Amino acid sequence: MTTQDSSQPEVNFVTKTQVGSESSGPNFSVQELKPGGKENSRSVSEHEIVLIGASLEKKISLPSPTKVDLTCKLDDSSRLKDPQVTWKKGSETISHTSKTQNSWTIQVTVSDSSQLGSYTCILKAEEEISATFHLQVPKLEGKEKPVITYERDKAVMVCKTEYNPKAWTWYLANGTELVPIDRILRTDKFQIKRPSPSVNRLEILKLTKQDGGVYLCEATFELGNSQIKFELKVLSIWAPLMPFIAIVAEVAILFTAIVLYEVYSKRKGKVSQKTLLRHSSSSRQRSKSGSLKGDLTNRSGNYRKAMMYHKEDVCSYGF
Amino acid sequence: MPAPTQAGRAPGPPDGGWGWVVVFGAFISIGFAYAFPKGLAIFFKEIQNFFGTSYSEIAWISSIMLATTYGAGPISSILVNRYGSRPVVMFGGLLCGVGMISAAFCTSILQLYICVGFITGFGLALNLQPSVIIIGKYFLKRRPIANGLAMAGSPVMLCTLAPLNQFLFDNFGWRGSFLILGAILLNCCVAGALFRPIGAGTALAKTPVNEEGKDALKGKITEDGPMEKKTEEEEGKDCFEKVNQYLDFSLFKHRGFLIYLIGNVLMFLGFFAPIVFLAPYAKHTGIDEYSAAFLLSILAVVDMVARPATGIVANSRWVRPRIQYFFSFAIAFNGACHLLCPLASSYTGLLVYSSFFGLAFGMVCAMLFETLMDLVGAARFTSAVGLVTIAECCTILLGPPIGGILIDTFGDYKYMFIKCGAVMVLAGTFLFIMNYYNYRMLAKEEKERKKKEEHLKSVRTENEGKKNWNKDSTQDGPELEPLRENGEGVKKEMNGTNEV
Repeated sequence: MTTQDSSQPEVNFVTKTQVGSESSGPNFSVQELKPGGKENSRSVSEHEIVLIGASLEKKISLPSPTKVDLTCKLDDSSRLKDPQVTWKKGSETISHTSKTQNSWTIQVTVSDSSQLGSYTCILKAEEEISATFHLQVPKLEGKEKPVITYERDKAVMVCKTEYNPKAWTWYLANGTELVPIDRILRTDKFQIKRPSPSVNRLEILKLTKQDGGVYLCEATFELGNSQIKFELKVLSIWAPLMPFIAIVAEVAILFTAIVLYEVYSKRKGKVSQKTLLRHSSSSRQRSKSGSLKGDLTNRSGNYRKAMMYHKEDVCSYGF
Repeated sequence: MPAPTQAGRAPGPPDGGWGWVVVFGAFISIGFAYAFPKGLAIFFKEIQNFFGTSYSEIAWISSIMLATTYGAGPISSILVNRYGSRPVVMFGGLLCGVGMISAAFCTSILQLYICVGFITGFGLALNLQPSVIIIGKYFLKRRPIANGLAMAGSPVMLCTLAPLNQFLFDNFGWRGSFLILGAILLNCCVAGALFRPIGAGTALAKTPVNEEGKDALKGKITEDGPMEKKTEEEEGKDCFEKVNQYLDFSLFKHRGFLIYLIGNVLMFLGFFAPIVFLAPYAKHTGIDEYSAAFLLSILAVVDMVARPATGIVANSRWVRPRIQYFFSFAIAFNGACHLLCPLASSYTGLLVYSSFFGLAFGMVCAMLFETLMDLVGAARFTSAVGLVTIAECCTILLGPPIGGILIDTFGDYKYMFIKCGAVMVLAGTFLFIMNYYNYRMLAKEEKERKKKEEHLKSVRTENEGKKNWNKDSTQDGPELEPLRENGEGVKKEMNGTNEV
């Protein structure tokens, strides 16, 4: 009656959550778990929460009917001693077994969606702490932020999950109404592809502004459906073009400014050259001898170095 | 050997003035060249979904871009030798812009490889090399500081581009973002416009009138360059042609260059992998995504500060003559950080590691090109940097995949860190020992040259001048030789504190 789906991935592990500090308030550490904790011969997955001083939660994804063992364990270092233990689902109490001292287990047979939900073990002694297991259908992965596309381009929305659902459906949100896209039989506009059993793609071609809106991806598992929303925004080509033109204008302006400044300073240099030439005709001889040390700036040390430096530049050696 | 009679016109590298503007331009240019490929990673998931490809096909975009940026180094060098830095950078900026703009209209992953990978990658290569080269032309005394400041562009740009890319992506999707990024890359042209030509290769035959006038002026470099080339150019034309046509392959006989090449090629095997895997490693140890991203931010911030600081330290009196030792130390320090990383298991431990890693990374990057300039001199640096980058290209591309293989095989990140640490410590030690040997050989050659000069001086007449244009040595090591004058101490000259 309850068989584990053989096509499920065999990634199984038990993770023990331990609370680092014993804070006064509830300290929730929530983890997503794949099903199948520890595999034993009867294909029952086991999940365990180890409590020290505060309450914990754990999410467990179940794609298909299975049996799960949920265990609450009290760590030896905890202050609570010999607590009174109750397992509850909502308001309903479930009977449990105690495999070892300080650990209490229930076995849940999940055959349809009514058995999904939150199962809590409550330990009451000097204080009350609890551990909650959330059994749910696997979540879908999409894109939380809006998908931005452009007119006449194509939009791609990729919906992923970790398991293989039985079926995928895409919906278009028209106001409050959800229209399945399969019914809109326009293969030139909508294309649904399934590159792998756990991934589904919706491609919308030849976009127009009206195509923007909310789309829904739904995956059907044996135990129920899981949904995720995508928001599509269709922009016109002018949207990025405005900043683009602004930046190109800025580049052009800066470039022109730099070139103009250079031309201006060149001209200034030439003017002052001419004036100096008129005055320095007598010093022409002096300049030729190369003893310019005094004429140039006070960086004569650099000057000598520089001369040698330029000797290198002329590459007159080493070849 | 031609002895220019008009030597002494050249005012030399200004070490300031317009040079700082050039540093700013290089800051922008280098920043884009290094940070842009990293910043693109944000778009990859969406592009992967859009084209329905696997992750490795998308990762090729990054690899092609990186390979082209480093592999096109020699082409960049040849172009700079021929045309000077400025036109090359402007053309590079234009290419980048065109590449990204056309990428916005791509309809297949292959087109993306070409537009983003090749065209933009080539444009970035044309940005990177000339920017580094022109710093060597504008600075000598304060070159390490200038290098440190310019290289600081990389972390600053990365810190700016990462949130900017995210913002663009959220508002415009990947196509619109590529369009706008193309426009932003055009700013490299603006940076290029700031690179006024200076120094050898740009001098044209000027009339004696101009020369006279310039001599009388203060030793300021205008865009016309130094004037003494007039006679020298005619005599030195053959070698100029050589330089302009080919890449300077004689560098492979240069001892210092070979040491640098081998040491660096080894170092790059373990240089980038830790950054690539830092965030995944953090997540693997149980840290959440935002804190893992914060580690990288810490790294970038420390890096940002470390680069100019290293430049200042490297410029000081004590370090500059021994800058090669400082560089080897920085590499070994980097390696030591990685070796100690597996010991850090908590979040605070990783924070400490990130800070030290940022410091070490900044130190190495700031001195990466400075040490090469120091070894081969500014003239041959153009070709040297091209040859070095194409050699590094292979190991840079191999580093992260090898790290990835180690992680996948052993299922543990620590072997990757140990590998990177060991490789870098090895590289640092190698460079240290070989540079010690190199310094000794250079000192020996110095002594021999001094002896020769004194001998020649006693033979030569006074008229031929005080300038010793003795260019016998083919091992034209660091600026030790050119900076020497009148028997002054080699080291004193090198660190440029010989200020009057």
